[in-house]
Amino acid sequence: MTLFAALASVVFGAMAKDTTQERLLYGLKVFAEFMVIGLVLGWILYFIP
Amino acid sequence: MVKTERLQAEEAEPAPGSAWLTGAAAWFVPGLGHLMQKRWWRAALMGGAVWLCFFVGMGMGGHLFDLAAEGSSPLLQVPPMIANLGTGALYLVSWLLDYGFKDDPAQAARATYEYGNTFLLIAGLLNYLTMLDAFDIAAGRKP
Repeated sequence: MTLFAALASVVFGAMAKDTTQERLLYGLKVFAEFMVIGLVLGWILYFIP
Repeated sequence: MVKTERLQAEEAEPAPGSAWLTGAAAWFVPGLGHLMQKRWWRAALMGGAVWLCFFVGMGMGGHLFDLAAEGSSPLLQVPPMIANLGTGALYLVSWLLDYGFKDDPAQAARATYEYGNTFLLIAGLLNYLTMLDAFDIAAGRKP
């Protein structure tokens, strides 16, 4: 999941925004969102049989 | 350039033929579209992510989709096939070598099989984004 989030956020970050700093921040934000949502969904699905 | 200005520019100027060629090259070989425009870092990051995603997916024992389906409708194979096709030459070479397309129960039983599938699908979809980015740069719609 971490590798997936890293690869997807690299592409999203490189595509979006105008400056390098904005891209870096956006990439990190997308990475964090992937990780948090993945973990939350994982725990929710854990309790669903 | 703000969005409205960008839209006006797009309406006024159609994309040049070289932009379409760049887009096609970007689809065929992930990262090539940016390399052709000397965008080295973008090519390394975006193309590299696609290549890595594809080979990680293959290494995990993922399955590539084509229209030949055993036990299910070929129509159901179309959406994942479109995603897989995004990897361009990587998909075509695998198809020509018949590598990754077989429905092998031993392969499907691997713990990483579904992860591999996902990586292969995402590799193609990421390359479509990379291709569009290369096209936009070549057409002058993006700095």
